[in-house]
Amino acid sequence: MFELNLSDWQILLVKLGLVLAIVPAITLVAGYAEHKVMAHLQHRLGPMYPGGFHGWATLLADGLKFIYKEDIIPAAADRKVFSLAPLAIFVPTVLTVLVLPLDETLVVEELDLGLFYLLAVSSISTIGMLMAGWSSSNKYALIGALRAAAQLIAYELPIVLSAAVAAMLAGTLSLNGIVEAQEWPFVLWPPGIGLIAFLVFFGAGVAELTRPPFDMPVAESEIITGAFTEYSGMRFIFSTFFPEVANMVIISGVATTLFLGGYQPIVPLGFLDAVPGLVWFTLKTAFMVFMLLWIRPTFPRLREDQLQKFAWKFLIPTSLVLILAAGAWVLYAPEGLK
Amino acid sequence: MLDERKLSAARKRTYGIGLLKGMAVTLKHLFKHNTVIEYPDEKQDLGPRTRGVIALKEENCTVCMLCARECPDWCIYIDSHKETLPPKREGGRPRKRNVLDRFAIDYALCMYCGICVEVCPYDALFWSREFEYAEYDIRQLTHEKEKLSDWMATVLPPPALEAGAEQPGQPVAATPAAAAPAPTAVAPAPTAVAPAVQPAGATTPTPAPSMSAPAETTEADKARLPAPPAHPAPRATTDPEAAGRSPEVPTTGQETVLSDQEKAVYQEDPGPNVDVPAEQPQPVALERSEDAEAVYQQVLKEQLDKGSSAQVAEARARVARAKAERGIKRGPTPLTVDKPVPSAPTKGAPRPEPSGAPEAKAPQPDPGPVAAPAEAGAAGSDEAETSAPAAAKEPAAEEPPSAEPVSTPDPQAAAPAVGGSDETPDQVFERVLQEEKAKGSSDAVAQGRAKAARVKAERAQK
Repeated sequence: MFELNLSDWQILLVKLGLVLAIVPAITLVAGYAEHKVMAHLQHRLGPMYPGGFHGWATLLADGLKFIYKEDIIPAAADRKVFSLAPLAIFVPTVLTVLVLPLDETLVVEELDLGLFYLLAVSSISTIGMLMAGWSSSNKYALIGALRAAAQLIAYELPIVLSAAVAAMLAGTLSLNGIVEAQEWPFVLWPPGIGLIAFLVFFGAGVAELTRPPFDMPVAESEIITGAFTEYSGMRFIFSTFFPEVANMVIISGVATTLFLGGYQPIVPLGFLDAVPGLVWFTLKTAFMVFMLLWIRPTFPRLREDQLQKFAWKFLIPTSLVLILAAGAWVLYAPEGLK
Repeated sequence: MLDERKLSAARKRTYGIGLLKGMAVTLKHLFKHNTVIEYPDEKQDLGPRTRGVIALKEENCTVCMLCARECPDWCIYIDSHKETLPPKREGGRPRKRNVLDRFAIDYALCMYCGICVEVCPYDALFWSREFEYAEYDIRQLTHEKEKLSDWMATVLPPPALEAGAEQPGQPVAATPAAAAPAPTAVAPAPTAVAPAVQPAGATTPTPAPSMSAPAETTEADKARLPAPPAHPAPRATTDPEAAGRSPEVPTTGQETVLSDQEKAVYQEDPGPNVDVPAEQPQPVALERSEDAEAVYQQVLKEQLDKGSSAQVAEARARVARAKAERGIKRGPTPLTVDKPVPSAPTKGAPRPEPSGAPEAKAPQPDPGPVAAPAEAGAAGSDEAETSAPAAAKEPAAEEPPSAEPVSTPDPQAAAPAVGGSDETPDQVFERVLQEEKAKGSSDAVAQGRAKAARVKAERAQK
């Protein structure tokens, strides 16, 4: 064996390279899962041809097709903003991965303010949506962008508040710290608070992803993919499909980290410790992704006002009450129960 | 009636239980055996009455044109010519019959309603289950009679009748031989074509002339053939009479009726025969020839005079106005008595012209205002863009009268932008610019209109 002597920035570069390779790969896998799982939930087969075996290469073929497509920028569009918007959506998506602890030590950068960073970075994409919608000079794009902004901001609140509950219970903002602080049975403890916070987080997460039943910003049958009506080719992929699927995985990962015990084994049995944390993390995340996939073909799209109502009249008050409850639990719960 | 109790049960809050039920439904499907038929690899056995493609049994076709006339899409094209056949016997009358030259169905237009198949009295059209005849070129979708005849090979025999069903169309007194061909009562076959109707005699591609008929005629025909001499040309006016007078020869009555029908069919033929393509509804000429408001008033008055209710009259007038605004010429609507042809030149139109703009009726020469918006758009540089629609509208209808009503008395020359034959495009540009300025149009508008006029002039030159 030989010793690798790398300086800090070299290590960082390697890690970033890995992230940039792994995120698209995971996106492809999740995208394929989305195609197939959704198809079977709807009693279809989904893609069967590309690649030979159950259409495994569908997304590769799709990607290739989109690369070859013409990149059209409307004449009346604000060219700079129009071409920067996909970046503003895509980059934050990748940035959020940097702090997710896949295993005890398997994390690109362990930040003490990990949760804060995560929530801050993930909300940048709202600006990207607005950029895309405004610069397209298209009414559908504009409506879509405004809907997206209204929705993302409305659902940012319950996400932040329910994540705050997790942070309060753990007593830290570091994601590793939050994982370590959780003990079996993760979500179910403290009773009620954890589970409700998890459900609020999950529901708001679905809306944050602008996936059905909360997909009014991209509602293809009414406003034609909303803010991205005018996009084509790779810009389209990088502004819609890629962030949506990647975010789906990331939200699942965050939910796993905050509420499901992250890389810890599902049940605290001694021999399960031998299984690497990455496997547990992957399993839990995959379960969460499946839940998201399951919801999508099941429920019809809500109306815009119903969506806002759900956020402001239900999720936000609930999470506010949860914060009070969590605070009370942290302060007054008997030592033995914590 | 809606059950109020059910409604209130449906309105009851269930606190998300319904959502879980929904998710259970989709989850069940995830584990169910999938029944998808993977089409190109695996083919479904389509029902016997599938409407895939229409097949033509050419020898059965008598060019009666019923299918072409009934077709809602006008997608059947039939050409034929007449043949004079020598009389069947000494001293007889030479007979005429139609020979099919072309039978084509344009499947790009066809909407698969099956009316042609239903309406065909001689069983010449059939549904086939084949449906894979997509083409890369839309013109290939017009199947000529050879291709349509090829489809015959794919036609299934008609499904068996249900047990106990009444045998369709069989006359009670039918001879055993006559049972095979199409029931004579329903589809009386002209004798010349008779052999072709018989499945057995379907050897000749076109209906066989009667000379060759005897060779293949069945007993029924043989029985019929000698009948006419007995009743040389009775031309019985009504069927029952004939039947009553000669009960011993039932075929005779049929025969005479037959020839009458035959004649009728043949008499009807020539018109549509020739005109089918020409009669296809042509796009109504878009001519901006009337002042919308005047049209409105006029139609309103006409309708009120006709005794329509005020509401109806107003509605029709509004429609007419909208059409006039959009530049659609008034078609043969019930408003006018003389039924003008929509595509006919407006000059001869009997309808009184609106008082407001007599000059505006000048019909455009070929390029017409239909092309105008496009041209204006093409000409539209940045400063012209705002005025482009206006420019497109103006030069054709309103400019000429205002600018030079005297110099262009001839309506044909009324569109200077288009028809100015002796001007160069640049001259046209200058002139229109001057006119516009004189009219007091703003600079940008004048420029735009002038440019549009120049472009039109350039096109006209080409």
